[in-house]
Amino acid sequence: MSEYEIVDHEHDVVVVGAGGAGLRATLGMVSGGLKTACITKVFPTRSHTVAAQGGIGAALNNMGENDSWQFHMYDTVKGSDWLGDQDAIEYMCKEAIPSVTELENFGVPFSRTEDGEVYQRPFGGHTLDYGKKMARRACAAADRTGHAILHTLYQQCLKYQAEFFVEYIALDLLMDDNGKCVGVLALCMDDGKIHRFRGHQTVLATGGYGRVYFSCTSAHTCTGDGNAMVLRAGLPLQDMEFVQFHPTGVYGAGVLITEGSRGEGGYLTNSEGERFMERYAPTAKDLASRDVVSRSMTIEINEGRGVGPNKDHIFMHLEHIDPATLQMRLPGISETAKIFCGVDVTKEPIPVLPTVHYNMGGIPTNYHGEVVTRKGNDQDAVVSGLMAIGEAACVSVHGANRLGTNSLLDIVVFGRAAAQRALKTVEKGSAHAPLPKRVTDKILARLDKVRHSNGDVSVGEVRNSMQNAMQKHAAVFRSNTSMKEGVEKVDTISKGMDNIGIKDRSMIFNTDLVEALELENLMQQAIITMKSADQRKESRGAHSHEDYPERDDKNWMKHTIMWLNDKNKTKLDYRDVHLNTLTNEVASIPPAARVY
Amino acid sequence: MQSKSHGVVHWKLQRISAVAMIPLIIWFVSSLVFSLINGYDQSINWLQSPLNATGMVLLFGTLYFHAASGLQVVIEDYVHNEGLKIMSLILIKLLSVLLGVLSILCVLKIYL
Amino acid sequence: MAEFALPKHSKIVKGIDYPINSQAKNTKKINVYRWSPDDDENPRIDSYTIDLDHCGPMVLDALIKIKQEIDSSLTFRRSCREGICGSCSMNIDGTNTLACLKSIDEVKGDINIYPLPHMEVIKDLVPDLSKAYEQLTSVKPWLQSKSDPEKGKSRKQSPKEREKIDGLWECVLCFSCSTSCPSYWWNGDKYLGPAVLLQAYRWIADSRDENTEQRLEELEDSFKLYRCHTIMNCTKTCPKGLNPAKAIGEIKKLQLERR
Repeated sequence: MSEYEIVDHEHDVVVVGAGGAGLRATLGMVSGGLKTACITKVFPTRSHTVAAQGGIGAALNNMGENDSWQFHMYDTVKGSDWLGDQDAIEYMCKEAIPSVTELENFGVPFSRTEDGEVYQRPFGGHTLDYGKKMARRACAAADRTGHAILHTLYQQCLKYQAEFFVEYIALDLLMDDNGKCVGVLALCMDDGKIHRFRGHQTVLATGGYGRVYFSCTSAHTCTGDGNAMVLRAGLPLQDMEFVQFHPTGVYGAGVLITEGSRGEGGYLTNSEGERFMERYAPTAKDLASRDVVSRSMTIEINEGRGVGPNKDHIFMHLEHIDPATLQMRLPGISETAKIFCGVDVTKEPIPVLPTVHYNMGGIPTNYHGEVVTRKGNDQDAVVSGLMAIGEAACVSVHGANRLGTNSLLDIVVFGRAAAQRALKTVEKGSAHAPLPKRVTDKILARLDKVRHSNGDVSVGEVRNSMQNAMQKHAAVFRSNTSMKEGVEKVDTISKGMDNIGIKDRSMIFNTDLVEALELENLMQQAIITMKSADQRKESRGAHSHEDYPERDDKNWMKHTIMWLNDKNKTKLDYRDVHLNTLTNEVASIPPAARVY
Repeated sequence: MQSKSHGVVHWKLQRISAVAMIPLIIWFVSSLVFSLINGYDQSINWLQSPLNATGMVLLFGTLYFHAASGLQVVIEDYVHNEGLKIMSLILIKLLSVLLGVLSILCVLKIYL
Repeated sequence: MAEFALPKHSKIVKGIDYPINSQAKNTKKINVYRWSPDDDENPRIDSYTIDLDHCGPMVLDALIKIKQEIDSSLTFRRSCREGICGSCSMNIDGTNTLACLKSIDEVKGDINIYPLPHMEVIKDLVPDLSKAYEQLTSVKPWLQSKSDPEKGKSRKQSPKEREKIDGLWECVLCFSCSTSCPSYWWNGDKYLGPAVLLQAYRWIADSRDENTEQRLEELEDSFKLYRCHTIMNCTKTCPKGLNPAKAIGEIKKLQLERR
């Protein structure tokens, strides 16, 4: 493999990804004195955290409602449909308060209450007194909270002179013979050189893989590269069947309209002008959990009450809200509605449709962010040298369905936790063991194969068929027949990877090559998602099985974990859900029927 | 030239001189129309009034100052060769002082 | 002297024409600047005719369609496709903007697409923004305060104080403004440009930041700040509707008050 020039780097920690989680981890590590490299395929402020709109959940109690983290924890467990690990959820909801306060101290431009405190708005599934009434818990910076947080975290990283490697695409993890992760190999897009990053901890903060679907709110760059690297390193992914559909993606364009718009008083109607959510969720109404609202909308459309000429979408109304409030609280979505559907939100409703938004599943970790796997009877075996945080990880705090505002919270809390853990476990400046050449060679061989691929199918064609298959067969409602067909389709489509051809042979900013590598990553996750969905014979959270419409706690209150070998064959196992809490400050929340 | 802390001073003086030139130019143009088109002798006469001579001295002073500072900006904008830039800036300064003094002396000579 | 001779690779030649094969009725010709660092060729304009009935509404949709169906070697940055990440800034129909927010219908006739003006080109529509990022770092764009907030407490800020940074913090760093500014074209190495000055003012205007005096002192420079000649291209071009020229004006006003 002498064709590639290799540049070596040695760091204490290597962070892959510079979204909210990656930056929060990098910040914590650099400010704690660890030599940290942050590798990212886009400039940090272009990461998809920037698109988060509504808010970050934390029981700061700024709105004088006697909110507490225990209520937040209850809502999160209930939202997860009891698939979330309660120790991790306790940790997240408790640490939310100092983590969000820290964000304010870093300079996040949060909106403010009259008292000068951080403004909080209502959000789906967030309640007071264990579901009695809606809580105002989402700390917001207008409707651009993700932008506010991401830019601030990047600014803080600049303050501490963090070392960034921008527009580097991570190829694969460097795994030694003992299954320990010792770094990562990356391709610098600018000059085409290969960079070998050695780290005592490698932190994957590579985000979700929304782009396995045809229509999603995710950015084009959301290809779950870290998830795929973990699969290729011989480790499993967890709960990949749980894909969240956001109720309000703009019909057609698929761009996001925040749940915060319903938090500020927006509501949904069907073709009869009925506020149908009152039927499905009498208490929370339009602010029920996302899976509930998405399902209700889909039922309305399936039963012929959709709006538009094809009766295939739903209206969301904001026109009854005072224009000054819209301007102050929801300026971004007012602009989005104007640009992407020509709608003036002060006068007309926005056409919306449930759209793929978030991956609850990912790389299994504990609440420190350390990657775990199942080794025989040890269900929580830590993988040495490897961490995962953010949407890439499955801690699991979101279980079968994530609550709105909990993803920004997840990235900040666990980014911070990963940094704290690394500061404890990594010895600063300690030496790196030599790495056999074959580890790098194997990865370069894969790169070489893709780079020189000259088959007759384009990356775009294969990607399209995969996205369409996933859209159809791993949708809001799923059934045995549909998923079986989906598994077969994805299997066939994945074989098409052998026939792809790319046109650009250059080593400099070769996006043709990058898209092919990303497609390979997406394809592996599509297989896992489809197969994980097919084997779960119950309905839970975002996984609604028409043949098994009930939740089955006796047989299925367990995490799916699935491996993939280099022949694209899967291996299935399970891990128990942690029903125990972390401390005795709160009691375990026993499973109950989920009513909003 | 690009020395620190001269940014705001230069910017301010350029604007003050621009503002100062507004009445001066209006005055000068109206004088042109009403008095100075009536021939050489009339113009000499006009200049011998203390008010007019003061006005002309002020006008020339401001004009050359403003021109020099404006040209300085243009040169800083477009001339990127350091040596050439410094030379042009010195030249402009010298030239504007020279022309300014010369113009003012001419006014004074007629006045006195 | 001022550079009158064009540097190497400045002359753009006609490139490849990709006509449409199908019987599509609603078509549009898209002319795209292409340049690769790998060979010693001059840049060229490739022309792609696409079927608008099978294409999304935005210019970015057209570029993606071209990359997906006609020429996968076409190189450009893109990510969020909803105008918040700032990746796909380029010059479309003579104006710097985000391709994802620019509607195809807005452009009459052929669509001409070039990279952001006056930046080094890495490849095709991808400019090298590293200098601009360095300039951003140079204004220390983070909260600086002498007093620490009470431990575990947020700093207070009234809605009125908070309002002062509206229209400033929303910048997506696409650099459409800076690269539309003639002053930045000529002196981009020393003049900070509207995007970075907007960021500088974002912190000056934030009531929580206590380093205003030092920030103003560092900006008080005939090149960093005063190369702004109030041309206003920045405000005119901003795809997010922000007003960098006003922010620069505010900084100049504050400089006057200091002296």
